[in-house]
Amino acid sequence: MPLVETMTSKERVMNALAGRPVDRTPVANPTNVSTVELMDLVDAPFPDACRDAELAARLAATGHTELGFDAVAPYFTIIQESSALGCEMQWEGKDNWPTVRMYNPIWKGIEDINIPHGFLNHRDNLAITDSIKLLKEEFGNEVAIIGKTMGPWTLAYHVFGVERFLLMTVDDPDMVKRGLDKMKEISVLFGEAQIEAGADVLTFPDHATGDLVSGAYYKEFLLDLHQEMAERFNVPLILHICGRTLDRLDYIAQTGMDCFHFDSRNDPQEAMDIADGRIRLVGNLNNPELLYSKGPKEVREAVNKCLDAGVDLIAPECAIPLATKLENLIEIPNAVRAWFDQN
Amino acid sequence: MADNIQMDYLNPKEVIRLYGTCLELVPTDPNFHDISIGLYVKDQVFTIWTFSRKSGASGRIETIRNQLVKLGGMIANPNAHNQAYFDCGDLHVRATRFLIAQAVGKAKEYSRPSGDMSIKDSKTDLIIKLSGSDEGERYAYKVHTEGEAANPSLRLRMIIAGFIRYGEMEKSGEDEVCFPCGSRHDNLMRLLLPYSRNVSAVENMMESEAMRGQMTTSTLGFTPPT
Repeated sequence: MPLVETMTSKERVMNALAGRPVDRTPVANPTNVSTVELMDLVDAPFPDACRDAELAARLAATGHTELGFDAVAPYFTIIQESSALGCEMQWEGKDNWPTVRMYNPIWKGIEDINIPHGFLNHRDNLAITDSIKLLKEEFGNEVAIIGKTMGPWTLAYHVFGVERFLLMTVDDPDMVKRGLDKMKEISVLFGEAQIEAGADVLTFPDHATGDLVSGAYYKEFLLDLHQEMAERFNVPLILHICGRTLDRLDYIAQTGMDCFHFDSRNDPQEAMDIADGRIRLVGNLNNPELLYSKGPKEVREAVNKCLDAGVDLIAPECAIPLATKLENLIEIPNAVRAWFDQN
Repeated sequence: MADNIQMDYLNPKEVIRLYGTCLELVPTDPNFHDISIGLYVKDQVFTIWTFSRKSGASGRIETIRNQLVKLGGMIANPNAHNQAYFDCGDLHVRATRFLIAQAVGKAKEYSRPSGDMSIKDSKTDLIIKLSGSDEGERYAYKVHTEGEAANPSLRLRMIIAGFIRYGEMEKSGEDEVCFPCGSRHDNLMRLLLPYSRNVSAVENMMESEAMRGQMTTSTLGFTPPT
């Protein structure tokens, strides 16, 4: 029986995040779906589109208008706050991600943690909040607008350097906890500014990834903090952690956050079984080996696998490669509709 | 063959419908405002496409199409400034990927040396030479080397393996390869010659290009140490 869509994109996303019924599974990437071709289409290339609200809004809008996703997300990178904090940036060109120069961290210890005056008015933060306002004007309540505020663990990588920060967690875990406690206020400040600007949902990337730290680390350093975040924000939160996370998914399901954005290195059915209805899941289409390298047929198979497992929202696993072919992205919502036509 | 449609106002879905699947996407054109260039293919016809609306983009697309003709031996579609095809009807997918990268990346004046198909080996002092011959049902290319090296027969086998890998060619004799279509493609052989002599370097180059623009767990937004 052919699918009849009865919801707006926003209703679909918000219902799915709340665990309420939907007409079909939404397609909503919590991170980024911009590509070099979309940048050309709307004349909003990187890195300018990361630093200018109008360009960011134009580029983000293509996620809905051209690709047919149910949400738009104008925070493409993971470095906006770090730039505003004073980290040394490498903005790169149109075809690559801006990065923090990790070999030159700005802070040495937790005593250095501070929120600079005018943090929210820094151009790289205003690019996000103002772009959300523009998207709200354009889409109103038709399309879900997903903002993003980096969690303190990821911010710590940026401001202290990965190696130094991870060594700090070994040498003096209590000090690190106090540091994370201070830094979480940066996450709250920027997140609330985005909500005020019109964000319907916030992605909360906090990269306690399986490639760097254990599940026990997640419990020790982040579980309580993430529970607090879930209570403090008044919009749905999507926790994003790359890499293997099945060993910490049980803890993640206890955070009270609405949704978890998971990586393709985790089997969808196993992840759904562990989540067991305590948290919704969004993901987990592989980027490098699927969306970047394969074709629509393989994309459809991966979407079907996620839908068969009951994954709540369909999305690429992380920010997509900037040279991803559009046919593969357009295939994602097509495949979802086709699955619902047949099931 | 698709008509020559005004480029400027097609959206991605229309482009895919009209021009087919994207065989290769060059993220930035160093010779024209860093616009992206897509090579789409449908019904054996290649279409060069950009979504950029920058002034002059259409002319740049035509220049790239002409480079596909000059460097790869494609036939230009006389009715479309952005289309070309191989007269054998084959796509020669892997070779065409190298071809579009060169057509975009090299200056528009660039052309490959004519005359003998030969090149100095990158790993020895050998000179690698190609000679083609019509063998009735197919056109075959004999690969041979000149000069002194420790183990020239081993190098020859490696170079032939390179042609098989990057040209999707078939072995047709001891030191001979041919294209699956059986046709003569001297321009493609000239294109493939530098790649086939150094497979490991080409693999590294391709891996590096593929990683650009990917956000990975290992980088997490950091500039890797240099």
